[in-house]
Amino acid sequence: MELKKAIMERRSIRQFTDKPVEKEKLQELLEAAIWSPTAGNIQPWVFICVTDPKMVHNIRVVSPGMLWSTSAVICICSDQQKALKAAGKGGAVFSLFDCAMAAQNILLRAFDLGLASCVIRSFNQAAVRELLDAPEYIQPELLIILGYSDQSPKPPPRNTDVLFWEAFGGVGVSK
Amino acid sequence: MIDVELYRDLIDLISYMTTSARGLIEEPQLYGPFRLIEGVSRICGFFEKREGVDSEFLSQLRERIDQSKFSVMFDVEAFTTMLDETVLMIARQLKET
Repeated sequence: MELKKAIMERRSIRQFTDKPVEKEKLQELLEAAIWSPTAGNIQPWVFICVTDPKMVHNIRVVSPGMLWSTSAVICICSDQQKALKAAGKGGAVFSLFDCAMAAQNILLRAFDLGLASCVIRSFNQAAVRELLDAPEYIQPELLIILGYSDQSPKPPPRNTDVLFWEAFGGVGVSK
Repeated sequence: MIDVELYRDLIDLISYMTTSARGLIEEPQLYGPFRLIEGVSRICGFFEKREGVDSEFLSQLRERIDQSKFSVMFDVEAFTTMLDETVLMIARQLKET
């Protein structure tokens, strides 16, 4: 698939069919995740793919932003221990950026594979960490819910008045 | 004797409300009304399958909410209209009950 098509046509999908996501596709998504840009090649992240229906349900009930159940959830976590060791206090911020970039890789690859997805931040991080049996230094940052789409949302409007050339407010040099 | 299914549904509902309360401290203002009305929808769903309630009314209420709740993300006016209509539905039910 052309990259531009994936960028322009990917939507946040919140309603899925009952069809489960194939494990091979989930493995593809995880591979896409670890090839994301990362500051200083620190790779301060952990990706936990959850497919057990009971666990997915439990994650859902501590995640107000997760309005439907799905067959698969990838929890993108920052590894605060690794981030702190490699980058000091700034590591916390770097790891957030890195997790966000990894999320975009997963989303675009998911669209490429015919999957629907949605990123969720409205979840209780401590509760998700507890459910996943993760240690204190592993911080769940984003959930990506995955499935097959049961809806076709219209593209939401985008503001173009945030685009400038050369300087804030700049419209560029006329030729 | 504990009704396991009932208890589990209740814990799910409590979890939704509690994690919503915690999350809303740092979330956008409009998420508040959304979380509340989503909670109402879930409470309707919770009681719809129980005996001793007007499940038809609860079902209508839940369907009205679910139909328009996501408008909060792109059309606040439509979301507000849904809330107004839901309030009226409840008021009419109060008169009849």
